[in-house]
Amino acid sequence: MVAIASFWDERKLLVFVTLIIVASIVMLVELEAARRGDRSLPDQLITSVIVPVEDALTQTEGAVATEVRTLTRAGTLASDNAALQRKVQELAASNERLKEHAAENVRLRRMLALAQTVPLQTIAASVVGYAPEGTRREITIDRGWRDGVSHDAVVLDGDGLVGHVMDTGPHDAHVLLIIDPTSNVPAFLRDTRTWGIATGTWQHIRMKYIGQDVKVRAGDTVVTGKGEIYPEGIVIGTVREVDRKDNALYQSAVVTPAVDFDGLLHVLVVRR
Amino acid sequence: MPPRFWALVLVAVGAIIVQSTLLQPLTLRGAHVSLLTILLVWTGLRCGVTTAGALGLLSGAIEDALGGAGVNVLATTVTGLCAGLLNVRFFADSLPVFVSAVGFATVLRGLVTYMVSELALGIRGSFHRASHELVWQCVLNCAVAALALIIERIAGHVRK
Repeated sequence: MVAIASFWDERKLLVFVTLIIVASIVMLVELEAARRGDRSLPDQLITSVIVPVEDALTQTEGAVATEVRTLTRAGTLASDNAALQRKVQELAASNERLKEHAAENVRLRRMLALAQTVPLQTIAASVVGYAPEGTRREITIDRGWRDGVSHDAVVLDGDGLVGHVMDTGPHDAHVLLIIDPTSNVPAFLRDTRTWGIATGTWQHIRMKYIGQDVKVRAGDTVVTGKGEIYPEGIVIGTVREVDRKDNALYQSAVVTPAVDFDGLLHVLVVRR
Repeated sequence: MPPRFWALVLVAVGAIIVQSTLLQPLTLRGAHVSLLTILLVWTGLRCGVTTAGALGLLSGAIEDALGGAGVNVLATTVTGLCAGLLNVRFFADSLPVFVSAVGFATVLRGLVTYMVSELALGIRGSFHRASHELVWQCVLNCAVAALALIIERIAGHVRK
């Protein structure tokens, strides 16, 4: 009886130790690949199978949600329709006025010889998934190196900066969000042109290393500064509160991101 | 009869996909439910160390491939192995045993993940956030685990 118990204990111990060693090796391989901004071979295989399924599921969920919304609103559709018709008439009138303004705007631009800023070349992508356990703030998009997405490419949406590409597969890429604690973005306050580093704090961003003599106010806009990865002038967010201590070398500010990271559906990837 | 390993792997893959897509907007004070942790405990109680540990290893590697940069695989393997040590087939259907095991597994997994994040990724000073989310994830996981077991029992009765 004792011999059997000891045999089982030894077997359990062997399984325990073996699996922990294998898991540690897998972890080290993954961490090393992440540091290089690369993907290990098993990762490539897994993502090539699972990301299309995630994509299909996300699209199906979107379609079902739209149908459900339409059905729940069916009762109010008639009154909505009448209100919309009135709105169309109002908009048609204001559209004419806007056309005149637009033409005037073009003339003024020509007169002032304003240089058009060179638009960034971007690739549109859809968000197909988030990190499963929320252990990192990252998303998966449905465009990869075959579509022109490269490592360290900057990712934006209509409201501002989303993050940068960590690694790419042929048809998908992982994007590190700017709210992840490992994300550091060169940033400056738009009004005072004061530099700092915007670091993620899971939900928000903290702009660190702002000089003590700078006057920072809640509501100030924070934008990207030109760096190795980031182009200049992309909105990061607005200052929510300032953390200033008299005996510290620098002050810091809590920044509310411009982008709603929980509702991300589509993003733009800047071509490098 | 214990379930087949490949069937468990398929369920784990399904759970991970659902977590990273459909369940993503559902949070309780910043915490997400972890279907995988619940599955690992369920497997550990019924199938033992080897199956739960191997499932933890595989599913952790899959989670890391989908976003995690290596912080999940050790945590899921340890969780699977520890759940497997409980291996109380006779009590596996007991609601209090299952729910408490899920609670402990959630805390254990959270702690291992936190340590790996701090040591390997250099994320400093996140204990407050990690502990706060861990408490709420514990509540969520226990609630979902209890619900899953009740549904499993009802399904069993209907089949009979």
